[in-house]
Amino acid sequence: MAHIWPIGGGKGGSGKSFLASSLGRLLAKAGKKTLLIDLDLGAANLHTMVDVPYPEKCFSDFVSKKIPDMEDTVLPTPFPNLFLISGAHDSLDIANLPYEKKIKTLKSIAKLQYEYIIIDLGAGTAFNTLDFFLASRNGIFITTPEPTSIENVYRLMRAIYLRRIRHYFSAIEFKTLEKKVKEHLGDDSFNKPENIVSVVRKEFPEKFTLIKKDFNSFHFKLILNQLRKQDNVEMGPQICKIIKKHLGLNVDFVGNIAYDEHVHDAICQRVSFLDRYPHTRAANDLRELNRKMSNSPGEQLLLNYL
Amino acid sequence: MEKDFAQLNYYEMLDIKPNATALEIRAAYNAALQMYQPDSLVSYSFFSQKERKEILARLEKAYSTLINEKEREIYNNELIKEGVLDPAETGPAVKRPVSIFEFNRQKDTSSMPKVRSSDLKAKISQNQRISEIISRQEIKGADLKEIRNELGVAIETIHQQTKIRLDYLHWIEDDKIEKLPAPVFLKGFIKAYLKCLCVEPANEISTRYINSLEHKN
Repeated sequence: MAHIWPIGGGKGGSGKSFLASSLGRLLAKAGKKTLLIDLDLGAANLHTMVDVPYPEKCFSDFVSKKIPDMEDTVLPTPFPNLFLISGAHDSLDIANLPYEKKIKTLKSIAKLQYEYIIIDLGAGTAFNTLDFFLASRNGIFITTPEPTSIENVYRLMRAIYLRRIRHYFSAIEFKTLEKKVKEHLGDDSFNKPENIVSVVRKEFPEKFTLIKKDFNSFHFKLILNQLRKQDNVEMGPQICKIIKKHLGLNVDFVGNIAYDEHVHDAICQRVSFLDRYPHTRAANDLRELNRKMSNSPGEQLLLNYL
Repeated sequence: MEKDFAQLNYYEMLDIKPNATALEIRAAYNAALQMYQPDSLVSYSFFSQKERKEILARLEKAYSTLINEKEREIYNNELIKEGVLDPAETGPAVKRPVSIFEFNRQKDTSSMPKVRSSDLKAKISQNQRISEIISRQEIKGADLKEIRNELGVAIETIHQQTKIRLDYLHWIEDDKIEKLPAPVFLKGFIKAYLKCLCVEPANEISTRYINSLEHKN
C-alpha cells in the first residue's frame, strides 16, 4: 500500500502546497511513483505549483460522479513519475463535502496504486480536513515561526486530537462525556482535549487504554518553514516537547526549511524551485527533509473507523 | 497523556535524570523557562494565562527544591517512600575531575617497554663500561648513546618520557653540533636525558658535557 503523507498547517503562507509539490518532485525524481492530491477543498492551487495550468479533470468530477473511478481523475504532470489530482475546477460548494462523499473519497484513496501519495490540505479545522489528515498515521504539520502560524498549528493539533477521541464514542456517549467534563472541570474546559482525556481516564478506563494505544501508534511530523537567520533553531524540538508533555501526542521534529526569497521568484515564474535554485539553503533543507522522511515511512492508512 | 503536568515529579517536569548535577538542573530550568515564559513563541496560545502561571510556579518550585542540596534530599526521600524513585539513582553522580593535562595526550603505546628505574640503577652499578664513561672529564653525544645502548633503552622511550623532540635526541647522540639548540636548552635536555636513564649525578655530567662542547668550539 502507498505511503500517505497528508500535509496540514495554518492559514495561507505556511508552505503546505509548496512543501507538497517539492516533496512530490523529490520523490518522483528518485524514481518513486508519486501522486499529489489537492484536497484544499475550495481553495485549490497545487496544479499551479506543478506546472499544470489548465487541468482538464479534477476532484469535483469524482464527487459529482461524472468520473466514477478516482484513478481516472489522475493527471500526468510535466515531470516523470509525478501525478496530480487537481482541485482547480472544483464546484464552488465543494468545501462542504458531505460525509458519505468523504468516506467514499478516503476509500478510493486507499485503493490507488502509487508508492507515495501526498495530500495537500486546506487551512482550518473543518471536519473534512481533520479526517483527511487522519487518513495516515504520518501526517505532517507545517508552520512558520510566527505566533499566528503557531497558534493555528496548535489549534489544528488539538482539533485532530479531539476528532480522534471522538471516534471512540457514539454520539450519546459523547454527550455524557461532555457533561462529565463540564462537571469536573468547569464550563470552558471542553476546548482542551487534554482535559477530556483526563476525564476519560477516570470515567471510561477501558476506552482510555484503547485511546492511549491508538495515540502511541501515531507518528506525526513537524516541519518549521521560513526560518530566518535570527530565529531560534531549537524551536521545533521545543514545540514537540510541549506537545508530548501536555497533549501526549508523538510529534517528531523533522527539520527546518530556511527562508529564501527565491521561493517567491520560483512560484511567480511558475517553475520548480528545486530545479531553478538547486543550490540554495532552502533547497538543501528540502532534500534533507525528504531523505529523512523516506527513511522512516511508518505505518499506513487507517480505515478502521469508517 | 500519561500524567498531567501537575502530577509529574520535579525531575520529570524539568526533563532530567534523578542524578542530575546542579549544572544540569540549572540548564534544564533555563530551557524550560525558554519554553514556558509568557513571551515565548514556542508555547504561544498553547496555554491560557492561568495555566501558564501555574506551570511557571511549579517549575520555579521544582528548581528551587532541586538546586538546594538539603531540600533535594528531603524531596528525594519523599519520592523513595512513595516508591517513585530508586535510592540508587539519587544524588548527583560522583564525577572525578577531568585531568586538564592528560586528556589530550597520547597514551604510552604498549609496544614500548616500560623502563623501571630500579632495574636501570642496578644495571648501572654493575656495568663497568658505564662507570668508566661517567668518570671521564669529557663527555660527548656518542658517549651518551653508548650508555643508552648498554642499558638497552630505546631512543623513542626517552623521547616519550622527556618530551624532547626525536630529531634533537638524534642530533645530540650523533654530535651534530651545528644543529643543536642554545647551551641553556641543551643542558636541560642532557639533564633530562640522563635522569630518564637514572644516570647520576645528572647535573654534574651535563655540566661536563656542555664544557667539553664549548671547549671544542
